Amino acid sequence: MATETAQPAGGPTPESEPAHPEHLQLEDRIWLMRAMLLMRGIEERAMSLYRQGKVPGSFYDGYGQEAVSAGAAFAMAPEDRLCILHRDLAAHLIRGVTPTRILSQYMGRAAGITRGRDGNVHFGDRELGCVGMVSMLPDMMLVATGMAMAFKLRGERRCALTWFGDGSTSRGDFHEAMNWAGVQRLPVVFVLENNQYAYSTPLDKQFAVDPVERAAAYGFTGVTVDGNDAEAMFEATLEARTRAVEGDGPTLIEAVTMRMHGHAAHDDMKYVPKEQVEEWRRRDPVERQERRLRDAGVDVDALRAEVTAEIDAAATEALAGPMPTPDDVLDGVFAAEAEPLGDGRAPWSGYAARAEATVAGGDA
Amino acid sequence: MAPLTYLQAISAALRDELRDDERVLVMGEDIGVFGGAFKVTDGFVAEFGTDRVMDTPLAESAIIGCAIGAAVVGMRPVCEMQFADFISCGFDQLVNVAGKMHYRQDLAVPITVRLPSGGGFSGGPFHSQNPEALFMHSPGIKVVAPSTAEDAKGLLHAAIRDPNPVCFMEHKHLYRRVKGEVPEGIYETPFTARVAREGSDLVVIAYGAMVEVALEATADLDGASVEVLDLRSLVPLDEAAILDSVRRCSKVVIVDEANMTCAAGAQVAALIAEKGFEDLDGPVVRVATPDVPIPFSPPLEHAVLPGVDRVKEACRELLEY
Amino acid sequence: MSSSSTETLVDVTMPQMGVSVAEGTVVGWRVGVGDAIVAEQTICDISTDKIDTEVPAPASGVIAEILVDVDQTVDVGTVMARISVEGGAAVPNGNGTPAPAAAEPQASPPAAGEPAPPVGAPARSGGPGRRYSPVVSRIAAEHNVDLSTVEGTGRGGRVRKQDVLAVVNGTNNGHADGAVTDPPLHIESPYRPDPPAPVSAAATTVIDGGLSRMRRTIGERMKQSLDTAATCTTWIEVDMARVEAARAKLGVTALAFVARATIDALREHPALNAWLNGEDYARHEFVHLGIAVSLGEDGLIVPVIHNAHELSVEGLAARIKDLARRARARELSADDVLGGTFTITAPGQFGSIMATPIINQPQVGILDFEAVVKRPVVVTDADGNDSIAIRPMTIMGLSWDHRALDGALSAQFLATVKRRLESLPS
Repeated sequence: MATETAQPAGGPTPESEPAHPEHLQLEDRIWLMRAMLLMRGIEERAMSLYRQGKVPGSFYDGYGQEAVSAGAAFAMAPEDRLCILHRDLAAHLIRGVTPTRILSQYMGRAAGITRGRDGNVHFGDRELGCVGMVSMLPDMMLVATGMAMAFKLRGERRCALTWFGDGSTSRGDFHEAMNWAGVQRLPVVFVLENNQYAYSTPLDKQFAVDPVERAAAYGFTGVTVDGNDAEAMFEATLEARTRAVEGDGPTLIEAVTMRMHGHAAHDDMKYVPKEQVEEWRRRDPVERQERRLRDAGVDVDALRAEVTAEIDAAATEALAGPMPTPDDVLDGVFAAEAEPLGDGRAPWSGYAARAEATVAGGDA
Repeated sequence: MAPLTYLQAISAALRDELRDDERVLVMGEDIGVFGGAFKVTDGFVAEFGTDRVMDTPLAESAIIGCAIGAAVVGMRPVCEMQFADFISCGFDQLVNVAGKMHYRQDLAVPITVRLPSGGGFSGGPFHSQNPEALFMHSPGIKVVAPSTAEDAKGLLHAAIRDPNPVCFMEHKHLYRRVKGEVPEGIYETPFTARVAREGSDLVVIAYGAMVEVALEATADLDGASVEVLDLRSLVPLDEAAILDSVRRCSKVVIVDEANMTCAAGAQVAALIAEKGFEDLDGPVVRVATPDVPIPFSPPLEHAVLPGVDRVKEACRELLEY
Repeated sequence: MSSSSTETLVDVTMPQMGVSVAEGTVVGWRVGVGDAIVAEQTICDISTDKIDTEVPAPASGVIAEILVDVDQTVDVGTVMARISVEGGAAVPNGNGTPAPAAAEPQASPPAAGEPAPPVGAPARSGGPGRRYSPVVSRIAAEHNVDLSTVEGTGRGGRVRKQDVLAVVNGTNNGHADGAVTDPPLHIESPYRPDPPAPVSAAATTVIDGGLSRMRRTIGERMKQSLDTAATCTTWIEVDMARVEAARAKLGVTALAFVARATIDALREHPALNAWLNGEDYARHEFVHLGIAVSLGEDGLIVPVIHNAHELSVEGLAARIKDLARRARARELSADDVLGGTFTITAPGQFGSIMATPIINQPQVGILDFEAVVKRPVVVTDADGNDSIAIRPMTIMGLSWDHRALDGALSAQFLATVKRRLESLPS
């Protein structure tokens, strides 16, 4: 895949992106790129399908925020547990959900993760250690806190992570989760995805103090990270995870980014100044990672072509799949037995575990 | 067998489960060192430690939300709401996160939420409620409401071992008033109704504290043969047992302590109208609390809560019909 | 209890207490021939080289035979005793819900005869505009009853279910459809036998002098290890100041930190996380960490924390505490002592500072953690200046098998443990 072709970086700002070589190997950095390309490509295809009337309901995407979920999820180990928000598709991809199942999910088809029972990004693959979000935000902060509580009670070196938006910081569950996690010093990572708008509400109508500063009030670390830099997100999350599993408690990571599309497909976001969009377009996370890889001699065009082909095949397969039949629509309200979450199993899920394995393999 | 109060039976069930299954933990406000507002977990910390008998922050949403998180990674949390009334603060987590989880993504949420409910002791509008019907209306949540000490223990065992969210309605008025023989060790009471007394002229359908009221009210009703059906479980609702009693008795009085509109009894009445119509020999009669907050002062509270006299009167009226 | 022609014999066999256990010794019988026994009740105590345990009766009945004497050692699966079971069904005595009580006779009995018509409501028949309830209409239709001819006993002469049933049954019994309790019969006695009285435990057999079974087993094992392994011991000094601070913060023992550092070192040096069994040499990906627990004069046992690499310091502390408690209460299961890949022994609570532990075969190393004592040591500050300081120090000894590895690796391993303990966050 990678060739020796050294190309001038594309885009309007041709300066080199500083890389983060502390932990990430070139192979990892390509995986990050791939996850972001897949996320963007799948969401673009889904939007196109939405416009063709193939996607019921509404449609939400994370265009411009790909680095937040890719970088954070990549730092987690398979035995860690994730509660994923609706603009974090790359996290699902990193855990190992296939593009076909995601596109099937958007289209309400039988092969979707929820088999048509819930829509769009309201899903989590139980077998891959993920819990799907609910629309009441940030309810999943408490679920992640509870997972971390269990890990700590059982004395396990594991960590829970969840994402939530700037609007969520106004809800009581934000406070309840931050306080509980601080009181019990739990191994949980809270990723505040600050994308400037909660639907149409800007930050200055949401809070008087930047929420990252509240972390100190709850007794733990808060850091602000460039949410459009996948490698910086990775580094901050890896550090937070290490802190968590070493017993040093939770971390609030504020990932500063920008929601480049409307809240949902119907939203033309007239309430966002054009200059603001333009400014953020220059900081596009996918292009930044692309420049890094080109500098390192990676054939990004080939990677893009490969991802596009994968999405084409996934879309074809998803479109060929059946809609669910209502035969079992009443089933499954109650569980017959309790099967807890499983581990992620994708080859690129779990940087943290691989890093430990690499160390362990370094026999003297 | 040992005679235990309803309260002791609940404690015994929790203690047995904590001993039997290391995945079980109990969590709530003031339940640890203090032993709980009603002393259900009194002395537990000494045996099980503060990790498994967890004093939580004052945060009902967090208690339920954290229990959900722990449950999906393999624990079996039992949450205590200090009073059932406070579940309104945890409603969202229970209804939207726990209740819908398995249907949406095949992920079971085995949590038990203990809800000390009911009035009769001047608890006022915020310490007397019977919120069970809220959860009957929310898919994915089971609701049980024992009336005897034996069932309190057996239903709590069954609730903790159930792979679903279960609301365990424990009536505060029964805590020390009801006492009975309780088998030792772990046994699971099924989520079905129980005929508390057989009869043939009329059936009183009730649950929780109202079972005692029904039994007392109909112990001697001019020689009439009155059946009392203790629902025990509201979700699932034992339709077969209800319709069987209706078939045999043909006259039905439904008693619940909750506010009348859309209460559990309303669902029972609707079920009978729909599936038991051909067996009826009179209108379905309901005795419940009118749609007012539970007032504080004793004469006011007494006026709204269903009591023996109101049930007796309703039964007499219907028997004569 | 009389014997019957349908009685069968149920065997009580020497159980398999772990995969590697081949035989066991009967330590004592709790029952004698002819005694009654209830399923799950302890029938005898046995001892194997892994674990001492109780054997529960597989069925309820009477002890028919005892085939193995006290102190006799037999193979796993050997029949030790037979229980005579009546009816041939071995019914374990569960702890389920007792059978529901029979219909309560005190519940209001059906009234005999027709209930008196309500005062002031004279029976009437016929009359225009009469309405009938669903159940009355249905019964009338099924039995071809002309309702206009039926006398009503309900309010205002309303025809009730009882009224139409009386017509159908040719009686005036308003309870034709009601529950009828069968009267008790002469031959039915309310007597129920008491549950069998618990069999009193047989007096403990006094074992004569000499070493306990556990002592003898430990002795054989240790001698065998020294005969097998090329045992060497290497020591290192560790500054425990960081550990002391961290353990005080978490409220756990220093051993938990040593265990965590050892696990990390084992993952860095997997040659020590291995089994050497004759020609067979295997390195393990996972760390199952044995922790030696003293049982006082009786000896010691090495319960194993399985998958210890998955546990945090707090998790390790909790598991160590639990295993030690259960070991002392003799509550360990066979699985608790199996599968260790490396062992830590920590007898330093009495102040001893060095030891040469013996390797727990087929492992290739054992770490000895002794007392932490304050000693003057030379410390070097950031500018390279030396001074003498008082530090909490300990000497850790690693006994290792020279067949499996060399001294350089054992030293590197110890250095890793030291580095991890000394570099804990302050």
